[in-house]
Amino acid sequence: MTIEMLLGAGVLAATLRLATPILFAALGGVITERSGVTNIALEGCMLVGAFFGVFVADKTGSLGVAIAAGVLAGIVLAALHAVAAVTFRADQIVTGMALNILALGLTSYLDYEAYATTGTPSTIPLVPDFVVPGLSQVPFVSDVIGRQNTLVWAAIIATVVLQLYLFRTIPGLRLRAVGEHPRAADTVGVNVYTTRYLAVLASGALAALGGVYLSLGAVGSFSDNMTGGRGFIGLAAMIFGRWTPIGALVASLIFGYGDALSVSLQGVTIGDLRVPVQLLSTIPYVLTILAVAGFVGRSRMPAADGQPYESEGH
Amino acid sequence: MTVASQTSPTGPVAAPSVRQPTAQWAQGPLVPLVSVGVALVLGAVFVLISGNDPIAAYSALVKGAFGSPYDITETLINAIPLTLAGLSVAVAFRTGLFNIGAQGQLLVGAVAAGAVGARFADLPGVLLLPMTLLAGILGGAAYGAIAGWLKATRGVNEVITTIMQNYTIVFVMHWLLQNGPMTAPNAFGTPASAPIGAGAVLPIIVPDTLVPLSRLHAGLVLAILAVVVFWFLLWRTALGYELRAVGLGPRAAAQAGIEPKRRMVVVMAIAGGFAGLAGMIQVSGVFHRVYDGFSAGFGFDAIAVALLGKNSPIGIALAGLLFGAFARGGAIMQSNANISSHLVEIVEAIVLFVIAAETLIRAIAKRRGTPAEAL
Repeated sequence: MTIEMLLGAGVLAATLRLATPILFAALGGVITERSGVTNIALEGCMLVGAFFGVFVADKTGSLGVAIAAGVLAGIVLAALHAVAAVTFRADQIVTGMALNILALGLTSYLDYEAYATTGTPSTIPLVPDFVVPGLSQVPFVSDVIGRQNTLVWAAIIATVVLQLYLFRTIPGLRLRAVGEHPRAADTVGVNVYTTRYLAVLASGALAALGGVYLSLGAVGSFSDNMTGGRGFIGLAAMIFGRWTPIGALVASLIFGYGDALSVSLQGVTIGDLRVPVQLLSTIPYVLTILAVAGFVGRSRMPAADGQPYESEGH
Repeated sequence: MTVASQTSPTGPVAAPSVRQPTAQWAQGPLVPLVSVGVALVLGAVFVLISGNDPIAAYSALVKGAFGSPYDITETLINAIPLTLAGLSVAVAFRTGLFNIGAQGQLLVGAVAAGAVGARFADLPGVLLLPMTLLAGILGGAAYGAIAGWLKATRGVNEVITTIMQNYTIVFVMHWLLQNGPMTAPNAFGTPASAPIGAGAVLPIIVPDTLVPLSRLHAGLVLAILAVVVFWFLLWRTALGYELRAVGLGPRAAAQAGIEPKRRMVVVMAIAGGFAGLAGMIQVSGVFHRVYDGFSAGFGFDAIAVALLGKNSPIGIALAGLLFGAFARGGAIMQSNANISSHLVEIVEAIVLFVIAAETLIRAIAKRRGTPAEAL
């Protein structure tokens, strides 16, 4: 084992790449749960984003339309969740599970119909890398952040914007009020239903952007179930990051670093023992359980999170 | 993340008698039947839109699931783990807990059973089979109990814990089976454990003269026994009475001297035990070793099985059979009618979605909600 394997520019660059889809899902989780709606369908939103991004890129040849279509697919799936959870007050975990299964079935079915024998085409337009100007001469730093995908930067910018929105603006304050005490927010004239609808739709859009990054940014193709649980790691990052965007960023980077290590330490031995790299991938889940249990810091969810709201005078 | 079943935000809860009739299914099979009907129709519309023939799709599916005695035995093989995992989810629902973790508990049960079955491979069946069975049940139970314990002592929502546990065991299995202590040197290219001993294998219960080459194993008997145990436990024992009382109203139960916290650990262990048994049966009855990436999805389908079966023993068995038929028929549909087997997942998702929305609509109509009904 060398320091290069632990902290080399390659590992750090990979950390950023691997953290990005997690971060998008986590940001989606933050905005919806801060409004009081649990959305475990983020995994599904990501998956439809990944598929429809590729599918529309193939059909239209336009990257802009493809990204929009992927995001729209995530919004549509999230809208189903919003109708069930906010309007019909259905159990949010059950509908979330249903939508995850639906997304998996739908994308795999359509993938089979469209690309069963050929695989997704290699000629589709992809999200380009962003070359940071003036960095090319700086050693190490340029290898880490000099040439990352544009959506990596988009995720970081979205983090800052969402942090400022939630904690430095009036609409953000109202959104948090709806998630903490919907009755009180309702009393002072905040529309609980509208706020929650918009938050759920936004969560679908953000998660879908994570999916678009996976298919059109990182990999360049679609394969069945390619999100592989990243939406759920996003939920973990949201919880570990204490329901704040900046916290979610830090958590995503930690989880992404674990992933990057499990690649760079593949086959490495310490003495006679092979490093059990697969166990590194359990870090997000174990840390999250410990965080929620209060063994690592204290993670408190919004007070009205997951509870349906019914206004009085119904 | 809070499960809506814990308290009813809509107002005072009119809790019905804890002595519910055993066969809730008989009381109201309407909702499950309607949801399956709606899902099949929407599935057909979807097949049509995507340019295929829905009648061809469904007839291939039915023929694949029930077309011959062999197909029926294959359907049953799929129904076994689905029913058991469904019992796992349902026993937790009955106590007001949401066990998303049947998948993870199933995998732990499979790993434990596979480890014992391979480690003591030389023992005779009279010893080895019970040991393997016990390992599977205890493995799943221990994993489930963690979620119950964290809920009882630290107030951690079991939904979060069980989701995280599902993924944790997947990566632990990658390690165990790819370059860990259970890895077998050669397993046809797929990472897997060493095979279990002959004594740990569940025997085939259909004679070759009746259904040639049938793989249907004695796990069917275990699954039927488990359904009976589920019924007996919940409706014929003091513990079951307490568990259901906690599910119907934790505060009322506490007033009556039933401490909800301790019951949470117990019920999650029982739930894990059912799922662990499902995993053990897959190892001892079907694969005879543990594969990496094994039984993906049974534990998630189990949520649909439990809800469709209205958490009742007969209902779960019937729903398990239906989803078993979907799994078998879907695979045959893909190879014979060239329509993706993922159609089955779409139908399943719609079933779940309709059930979730329907019970709530009905609950609103009646202006009351109880945990047993809200879920």
